[in-house]
Amino acid sequence: MSARTLCAAAVSLALSLGSTALAQVNELENPGVTSAVQDRPYRLLHELDLWFGVLPLDAFYVGVFAQVGYVYHFTDRFAWQVGRGAYGLAARTSLRSELERTFGVQPTANDEVQFFVGSDVMWKPLYGKLAVMNRLVIHGEVHLLGGVSLFRFTNSGFRPGINLGGGGRIFLNKWVSFRLDITHNVVIPTGGGTTSFANVMTANLALALNFGGND
Amino acid sequence: MIRARLLLASCCFATSLAASAQAPGKPADPVTGEPAQPAAAAGDGGVASIATSTVGTGTGAAPVAAPPPPPKKIDPKLFDDALNDYFAGRPREAAPKLFEYTENVPSTDENYAWAQFFLARSLIELKLHHAGAVYLARIARERTNPAVLTKALAELQLFTDRAHDEVMIDEQVFGALDLGFLPEDIAGYAHYQQGLVDLRVGNERWATTHFAKLPEGGTEASRAKYAMLVTRLKQAKKDLPKEMIDQFFELAQDPKLTQDARNDAMLAVARLRYELADYTGALDAYNLVKLPSLDPGRAALYLEEAWTRYQLGQVHAAMGLLTTLDAPSFREEFLPDKFLLKALIYRDLCHYLPAKRSAKELTRRYSESLDAVRDRDDLTRDPRLLRAASARGSTRRARQFLESLELEGEQLGRFAGTFGERMFGYMTRLYDLSRAEAVRIYQQRLTEAVRVEADKLLRAAEQVRLMEYEVGLKLYERVKKGAKLVALIEEEPLKANQVSFKFTDEYWNDELRTYRFSLKSRCIEETAR
Repeated sequence: MSARTLCAAAVSLALSLGSTALAQVNELENPGVTSAVQDRPYRLLHELDLWFGVLPLDAFYVGVFAQVGYVYHFTDRFAWQVGRGAYGLAARTSLRSELERTFGVQPTANDEVQFFVGSDVMWKPLYGKLAVMNRLVIHGEVHLLGGVSLFRFTNSGFRPGINLGGGGRIFLNKWVSFRLDITHNVVIPTGGGTTSFANVMTANLALALNFGGND
Repeated sequence: MIRARLLLASCCFATSLAASAQAPGKPADPVTGEPAQPAAAAGDGGVASIATSTVGTGTGAAPVAAPPPPPKKIDPKLFDDALNDYFAGRPREAAPKLFEYTENVPSTDENYAWAQFFLARSLIELKLHHAGAVYLARIARERTNPAVLTKALAELQLFTDRAHDEVMIDEQVFGALDLGFLPEDIAGYAHYQQGLVDLRVGNERWATTHFAKLPEGGTEASRAKYAMLVTRLKQAKKDLPKEMIDQFFELAQDPKLTQDARNDAMLAVARLRYELADYTGALDAYNLVKLPSLDPGRAALYLEEAWTRYQLGQVHAAMGLLTTLDAPSFREEFLPDKFLLKALIYRDLCHYLPAKRSAKELTRRYSESLDAVRDRDDLTRDPRLLRAASARGSTRRARQFLESLELEGEQLGRFAGTFGERMFGYMTRLYDLSRAEAVRIYQQRLTEAVRVEADKLLRAAEQVRLMEYEVGLKLYERVKKGAKLVALIEEEPLKANQVSFKFTDEYWNDELRTYRFSLKSRCIEETAR
């Protein structure tokens, strides 16, 4: 072992001992941990959601949809989105118009999402608050979603999918909150003669009405 | 202010005589008590008359005043023009016209009192509140027009919610009003003020007579009850009457009182229960003190609650409240007890070094103030004691009034051109004299208040010395072989509906009352000692 290595080892040992000693001194002088322990001002039990969303992933159309959902919250961290059902309308992109006009592609050639239903479990690991301009405190939470969906496509008919995603919620008061979710559905190739997986991404915003959580 | 007025009035006696001869029936000057000078005579802005008066005070000789020119004739349209300006939202233009009008018409003029009233309103709208109050008080004293008087009193009543001249408004106007002719609501307020004045001088029977005339169920009746209870509480030094707790509690629920007054009543309940060793009841009362959303609250409330929780054995919650008191909002607060309580909690958890350090922190932080007390220095010059003394009670009110006068005095400079030389000189004199009187009252109250704070500091320093000694003994106590740690004080576990945010030196106003300290006890089993 060279002298340089020994020297480096000695320095690092001295530094680590020093920092340990410093931590011990600090612990002796300022022992204990302080936390703010607060009652959760907003708790959820039954949640009815009114959604508005878009399906942004398809290059040939942008689907817009309205959705209704119900969520049951078992605890502050775990919930079941019992059911959700959406009906969509497709707005054609310029690419699709170009294809139809220039290359004579049939309007029925593209498979579009007509409506879909599904159910998910929710895990809400993050809960917090934000100071708005030092004048207001707003509370919110972040959740992860995992579940299944059933899509009805214009060409290929009904196809199941696996839904994964996440979102966030801002509480307005004890009864109303806003929820923003972004999810990705991997649609399984069954039915309608399709052989490849399809991807349906949803970005949606909800007005969530909460009942019974704060009783 | 009365003293200054009398002094000036007596010194200006000769000048006043001459002036009154020129303007018979002229009302007294609201600042000096002397009759108003005609326009031409005030070309010096009134400074000359003050200078002459000062010389006269020293020598006892009356100065020879030049005969003032005859009073200026005023066009009656001036009043209408001024009113037009006022109602068109131009108080800056209205004020000098109204001033000129009031200075040049006799008090028997039918518009005289109205001119004073709108002059007061204009000055208030120009944020010269004290000058406005002076004119309103003048209307109340002269009583030349009953219709204006009622309006002036209603305006003056509004002044009592902000920093104001207590002697002029509370004592000289409301405290001295003849109550027979007033409308019910103003008479009620005047009865309340007169009762308060009686209470202050220790005449409870007279105060009761005034308070008995207040309409039952009104705001003043509730405030009067509170004032009576506080006075009785101050008088009952040894045996605390238990029924007072219920009476204070009842007042704390009274919606006619302001939230601040209700909180004060609830704090009184908590303090009384604490004195009677009903710590659970005291804690309940502290929890009932309602603070506005995101309001940092009061340091005294947190410290008292911390002591109560300490007495209940909730040392972790008590220490949490002491963390609150380190928040920037309370950094300037004078709370010597805080360090003592911190030391006691560390001692109870057998963390002796931090206990000793906390105890020493008091003498370290307040060393300059303690030196000032020991050296018998002028305590009003000690910044910590000064801040503490001027942050409470009547001293605080006197400081706030002085500050408002200084601010308004500075703002007055903006109107030098608009007001004209005479009115500006008059207003400058008014503010100078009021400020001098406000300084005198503030200093008088401060001297007493600073002594109280110094006493508090000395008592805490003494307790701390005892604590240091006790902790010193514990530090070097021998621990027997086989001794085990024992958790004498259990921490309250987190409930399902609670959320915990670890404190990292960032204070959130919504958390101030919810800090909880977590520290394991290092106490040794009793059997091992």
